[in-house]
Amino acid sequence: MTVVPQSGSNVSRSTGGGTSSLYDVLELILDRGLVIDVFVRVSLVGIEILKIDARIVVASVDTYLRFAEACNRLDLEAGRKAPTQLTDVVGNAVESGARGKSKGAISGVVDAVTQSLSGSSDDDEEQEEPEEAAEEEEAPRRRRPARRTARRERE
Amino acid sequence: MPLYVYSIIAAAHPCRLDGLTGVGTEPAPVRAVTAGRLRAVVSDVDEEIRPRRRDLAVHQEVQDRLMTDGTVLPLQFGYTAPDDQAVTQVLLEHEDGYLEALERLRGCAEYQVKASQDEDALLREILHESDRARQLNDRIRGGDPDPRLPLELGELVAAEVGERREGLAAGLVQSLVPLARDHSVRAPADGDILNISLLVHDDDKNAFLEAEARLTEQVEDVEFRFNGPLPPYSFV
Repeated sequence: MTVVPQSGSNVSRSTGGGTSSLYDVLELILDRGLVIDVFVRVSLVGIEILKIDARIVVASVDTYLRFAEACNRLDLEAGRKAPTQLTDVVGNAVESGARGKSKGAISGVVDAVTQSLSGSSDDDEEQEEPEEAAEEEEAPRRRRPARRTARRERE
Repeated sequence: MPLYVYSIIAAAHPCRLDGLTGVGTEPAPVRAVTAGRLRAVVSDVDEEIRPRRRDLAVHQEVQDRLMTDGTVLPLQFGYTAPDDQAVTQVLLEHEDGYLEALERLRGCAEYQVKASQDEDALLREILHESDRARQLNDRIRGGDPDPRLPLELGELVAAEVGERREGLAAGLVQSLVPLARDHSVRAPADGDILNISLLVHDDDKNAFLEAEARLTEQVEDVEFRFNGPLPPYSFV
């Protein structure tokens, strides 16, 4: 199992199985797949308890202040690039597509896996090993802690 | 003895399970239970299985092995049956449905695409394009203590962020979907803008991988994470 960076730094590709792709596919293993009702499913308590309907919400004072602060401390010129050139790939999809949709709709259930693996304070023993996985897997994801504050908010 | 059940495959599947051991702290060999035209891939368990890292990896490893030789219906993690007889009964009762699913998924694999966007880059873009946002930002940075300014700026920027991320995600979906037999969009995790699973036939695999590569080249400030080929968890 390998994660091979391709064409610059903004991509990782995982092929086949193995533990290093486990983090991103965990949600499939836990939440998707064939269900056979007459069989008994083992307890997933340690994971499911953290499956919160966490909305990354855009309509709250806390979020507004966080964005304002982020803008205030931004170095406006450094690293500014041309706007994303998605239209080259998808034609006019963006314009005709979602531009007009309702605002702040990046929302929904945060997947069980990310939640449970990134939770840091839970002492549930079910979590011990998944967390171990998370530490290994999270490094290349380059998440920034600042983003996590938005998770607290609900619409 | 109770069995942990990994997958269902056709009886005609080569089912090479040599060397594979199952879930649990004292893993038993992975074996098959055959009934009619189907097989369930199982291992004996005499303990309560928990979603530990090793066991999740084993579950996935079994699917990967089976996938190399044919179509597989992967079970969700964690299903156990009381004994071989119970498994046989399920296979016989649902034979038609499972065979149909196997046929539908033949030659296909699941590809998962996740994307996250660099927030600073997005904020710069918004400040660059919105006069009002830039004006508010300048006043705050200039020392204007009016407490309404950060709120107005934040509200404006938050709305733009939501709209732009959603637009970008929709565009990404539309660029990938034409190459897939089926797809399933999930709510992105915190910090991500996209989480999509696509069912891609082997015939379209190269075109799909090329499309992925094009995205990474052409879409700036977005970090992609591609997984696949995977067993078709999202399409069983």
